[in-house]
Amino acid sequence: MILVTAARVIGTAARSLKRNIWLTLATVSVLILTLVSANMLLALNVLGKVALSAVRAKVDVSVYFTPETEENRVQTVKIFLLSLPEVKDVEYVSAARALERFSDLHKNDDDVLASLGELEGNPLGATLIVKARSLDAYPRIMSALEQPSYASVIEAKNFDDRRSVIERIETVSHRIENGGIAVSLLFLFIALLIVLNTIRMSIYSRRDEIAIMRLVGASDGFIRAPFYVEALLWSLLAVVVAGAIVMPAAHFAQPFLQSFFGTSGADLAGFYRVNFLRVFGLQLGATAGLGLLATKIATSRYLKV
Amino acid sequence: MIRLKNVSKTYPPDIVGLQNINLHIRPGEFVSIVGQSGTGKTTLAKMLIAEEHPSHGQIIIGGWDISEIKPSDIPLLRRQIGVVFQDFKLLPKKTVAENVSFALEVCGASPTQVRHIVPQALNIVGLLDKRDRYPRQLSGGEQQRVVIARALVHRPKIIVADEPTGNLDTLNTREIITLLEKINSFGTTIVLVTHNREVVNELRRRVITLDRGLIVSDQEEGKYLL
Ligand SMILES: Nc1ncnc2c1ncn2[C@@H]1O[C@H](COP(=O)(O)OP(=O)(O)OP(=O)(O)O)[C@@H](O)[C@H]1O
Ligand SMILES: [Mg+2]
Repeated sequence: MILVTAARVIGTAARSLKRNIWLTLATVSVLILTLVSANMLLALNVLGKVALSAVRAKVDVSVYFTPETEENRVQTVKIFLLSLPEVKDVEYVSAARALERFSDLHKNDDDVLASLGELEGNPLGATLIVKARSLDAYPRIMSALEQPSYASVIEAKNFDDRRSVIERIETVSHRIENGGIAVSLLFLFIALLIVLNTIRMSIYSRRDEIAIMRLVGASDGFIRAPFYVEALLWSLLAVVVAGAIVMPAAHFAQPFLQSFFGTSGADLAGFYRVNFLRVFGLQLGATAGLGLLATKIATSRYLKV
Repeated sequence: MIRLKNVSKTYPPDIVGLQNINLHIRPGEFVSIVGQSGTGKTTLAKMLIAEEHPSHGQIIIGGWDISEIKPSDIPLLRRQIGVVFQDFKLLPKKTVAENVSFALEVCGASPTQVRHIVPQALNIVGLLDKRDRYPRQLSGGEQQRVVIARALVHRPKIIVADEPTGNLDTLNTREIITLLEKINSFGTTIVLVTHNREVVNELRRRVITLDRGLIVSDQEEGKYLL
């Protein structure tokens, strides 16, 4: 019996949906637009994180030793650095390896190669490449190396400070995020109004039917339920279509993103694949919640008991 | 069956609908309510089905005091009273049978009940052979008979009819009244609001006359007075 009633309610909702087909399409379109803009926001957020961690991974301090420094002195400094709690990793590059890297880096620059050839022996010393656990630790590491016993063998220290880049990325992605939230909220508000109005139209177009239901003794719940079902159907449809837009778009954008960010970590399609249920489940929940809220408002306002 | 005690109805701000009505309608009666326009006939009919609520007094139907009925109980009341109102139409996109079964379905009747009851109701009003027609393919009298069939599906003990013959010619009017008499002969109490002098005079049943919200006459075998 519950099944029969459920079937009647769903049937009523489906008929109402069909009767107001253009209104239904407009409503679902707005919901889709809202969902797609929310997904763009999500994608930007994910990519912003990717960009940040890519930049963060590139930050390091290079400590250049004078060419005559013996290797065990260098190793002492390395051990010292590793003993600092803020240091994550220290890479040792021998003098020979440093030269190799240098000439490799300048292999198209004949002048540099020529002047290198004129020099006797290896002009470069060993290098330590230090990675810290956090960006704030670098200045402390730099000053730790200032002590005289180390300073004498250190030719130069180079802190590739990318904090300004990181800050720029952070401000830009914040701005995009705020703008995105504003746009999404605007769409959400419009969606709420449109859903509300569509339910109202739906009530209006079924007013004779509703009047009859009342007078023959249909329960209030039975009269109201189809409107809620209708809103749920729109939500479901909107999320399915939004998913059908977003998933292929993420897949299509994949090669561009990866070459742009220069890392395979920029895996938007992968993000959506892994979080599919959570992301779209949440969106379905939110859209359905919006639809139900709008229906509640519309029915309590326009459906006279 | 129906008892009104000191019932008054005032519409805001202070329009008088009914004033101090005392009335007792016994089971199986056929009561006509007459009176000039705006004297509260429709108000009375609407209060019987809790479409309007009395400002003062008590309305008791089948032992049930509905004066301050809970909204959630109204459907239960309405399943026991068949309603035939003038502006209470058929759904144009449903066939005769669908219009009648609609009243059952929306109240949660099982498909078996629907299959069983709808032909019975259509048979009583003599429209079983036109069950698959649409309302626009029927005459005014036939349409009103479908409305009566729809009012019958819950096997009500009471039928409230507000000017069911308002738009009909003499022949169709007579048919509808005959039908109501037939339903009354099964034991159903009928409350008929009408303007039609001939109908009332030919019925020779109880007639209650209202004037400006007051009962001015209540006769057992009444005539149309005004
Ligand atoms: N919803 C309402 N709000 C305000 N006044 C109302 C309302 N319904 C009816 N009235 C007033 O109450 C009085 C009685 O109205 P009612 O409809 O009961 O008359 P009636 O006897 O059915 O008239 P008619 O024969 O024309 O149908 C009238 O003065 C009418 O204007
Ligand atoms: Mg009236």
